Amino acid sequence: MIAYLAQRLALMLATLFAIITLTFFLMHAVPGGPFVSDKMMAPEIAAAINAKFHLDEPLWQQYLAYLGGVFTFDLGPSFKYPGMSVNQMIASGLPTTAKVGLLALLSVIALGVPLGVVAALNRNRWPDTAVMAIATIGVAIPSYVIATLALYVFAMRLKLVPTFGIDDWRGYFLPVFALSGFWLSYVARLTRSSLIETMLTDYMTTARAKGLRPGQILFKHGLRNSLIPLVTVIGPVAANLLTGSFVIEQIFALPGIGRHFVLAITNRDYTAIMGITIFYAVVLMVMILLVDLAYLALDPRIKFGARHP
Amino acid sequence: MTALLDVDGLTTSFFTRRGEVKSVRGVSFRVAAGETLGIVGESGSGKSVTCMSILRLLKTGGKVVSGRALFEGRDLLALDEDEMSDLRGNAIGMIFQDPMTSLNPTLTVGEQVIETIIRHRPVSRAAARQRAIELFDMVRIPSPEARLRAYPHEFSGGMRQRVMIAIALACEPKLLIADEPTTALDVTIQRQILVLLKELQAKLGMAIILITHDLGIIVEFTDRMLVMYGGQVMEEGLVTAVFRQPAHPYTRGLIAAIPNIADDNGQRLRPIPGSPPDMHDPPPGCPFAPRCPEAMLQCRVPAPMIQAAIGQSSRCWRLHPDAPRPVEQDGRP
Ligand SMILES: Nc1ncnc2c1ncn2[C@@H]1O[C@H](COP(=O)(O)OP(=O)(O)OP(=O)(O)O)[C@@H](O)[C@H]1O
Ligand SMILES: [Mg+2]
Repeated sequence: MIAYLAQRLALMLATLFAIITLTFFLMHAVPGGPFVSDKMMAPEIAAAINAKFHLDEPLWQQYLAYLGGVFTFDLGPSFKYPGMSVNQMIASGLPTTAKVGLLALLSVIALGVPLGVVAALNRNRWPDTAVMAIATIGVAIPSYVIATLALYVFAMRLKLVPTFGIDDWRGYFLPVFALSGFWLSYVARLTRSSLIETMLTDYMTTARAKGLRPGQILFKHGLRNSLIPLVTVIGPVAANLLTGSFVIEQIFALPGIGRHFVLAITNRDYTAIMGITIFYAVVLMVMILLVDLAYLALDPRIKFGARHP
Repeated sequence: MTALLDVDGLTTSFFTRRGEVKSVRGVSFRVAAGETLGIVGESGSGKSVTCMSILRLLKTGGKVVSGRALFEGRDLLALDEDEMSDLRGNAIGMIFQDPMTSLNPTLTVGEQVIETIIRHRPVSRAAARQRAIELFDMVRIPSPEARLRAYPHEFSGGMRQRVMIAIALACEPKLLIADEPTTALDVTIQRQILVLLKELQAKLGMAIILITHDLGIIVEFTDRMLVMYGGQVMEEGLVTAVFRQPAHPYTRGLIAAIPNIADDNGQRLRPIPGSPPDMHDPPPGCPFAPRCPEAMLQCRVPAPMIQAAIGQSSRCWRLHPDAPRPVEQDGRP
């Protein structure tokens, strides 16, 4: 177990290193820079600024300096917000993004799985048809359309919830709904098909032939096995939701990390772009590790170090 | 003698998108307490569907259209789902063909035995566990206590089938249905499993329905046999009687397909020329008639079961007192 974790950790560090290197050089390969804008700047001021942020040094030197920072958990100062570090930027956006993301993740699991189960158990009858119709729409319509529509109907017309911000608990409804819509539908569909497939297996026939009660057959034998494929997608989904969708944050004017990211890209805020990318990568890798650990708990056939087929 | 199981006119169809598949068409047979009934027949002849109909475990689309299945006088086909599930795994045990897939991969084998005991007996978990150890010992799984905690993938095919047997026998059933319990196993393991089943039968006194493709297994391990074809019983009788003088041309074909019965070592059936009927639209009379070397015009009319000898009857017009003989090809009655 310890050896396995150590091995995974080493792999994660190597991946992170590759991501940093790739992002760093790609970003610098694109023409332009953080302090190039249409406003004319006196050359000596530009030089001073470049010197301040070490942009006048050779690229490899900047790279090494940055790398050193990252591995001491210092993502450097923001190029665009004077006096603010990228660490602070992420820290200021994280609570909002994490709260909304966690609620979205919760609703994906707490609603998506039961809906899929109901659909599977009522295969080809009206509850199935209804759930699948809604889920198909949920997968097909982009989240920003859902968000805009929901905003119009529930906030502007019906005035049930505020139009922006999350100062009020009711403010969470629409962003969470819009953020989770796609994955909720996806998980409902996946749960349904996985459970239907599981129900056809021989060991489910055995469970029935043993005279077990319907509840035992469904939960102990059916659901546990059909959750295994679900675990695969939950990791990336969780990372996706927890790091926030910048579109949703934009529409609902939420002060999350996603908004910082968008601004950082338009501003060519090198350190902010790098920092947030690294942060996303770490969250994703941690989620994937958690998924693999969940596999181990759910499926005894999987040994440490071997991934599920 | 009242039979333990009395199946009468069982008719089961699958209603699929491509129409009705008439899998079982009026099957009748009896099983006495403690006896072993073998069911043989080519693939698709309706052996499994017959058993699954009796246990009411048909896959979606499958429906018993008519018939009765009296078990100790109660019609299984008329029980409600609760009463039926009280019997399954309790008075009636079942073993399936593929031990690789019929155990749940995510639960320990011990748990899969224990939950069956707890479902049907008012015992504590500890007592059920103790019983599971006894059962593992009974089916000769070495170091039962430790093996209880293992998962199915840690067992070989033969060992898994022993676990399945332990589950099926957990509540000392009066009837054990074994649907090709050894087909998926190595020949040497096959024998061990069947010998074990016979031993346990002698010990526990249960009746067994043993489905197989293998006439060698029928000869060695069963008392009476049922030959199925096209969803119907073609011949029924004591194994000794049927092998001494098979009454149905299909049975003769099956027996002739075995090179040497005497030194049988588990050969599978070699198919008779021709192919089995399409069960969407089976022939109106005898389903075997299109492949039968002795078919006559009368064979287009459904035949009744006709007694051929003591304890042996067959669904063949050739046994009818008015049937022409010697055999003419396509002769008129
Ligand atoms: N789920 C199903 N849907 C449709 N038809 C089915 C289904 N299960 C069985 N059948 C049909 O019922 C008929 C009898 O099948 P059954 O499984 O009883 O055969 P069998 O005698 O057990 O054969 P085998 O020796 O291959 O196990 C076959 O024609 C088969 O195609
Ligand atoms: Mg079968």
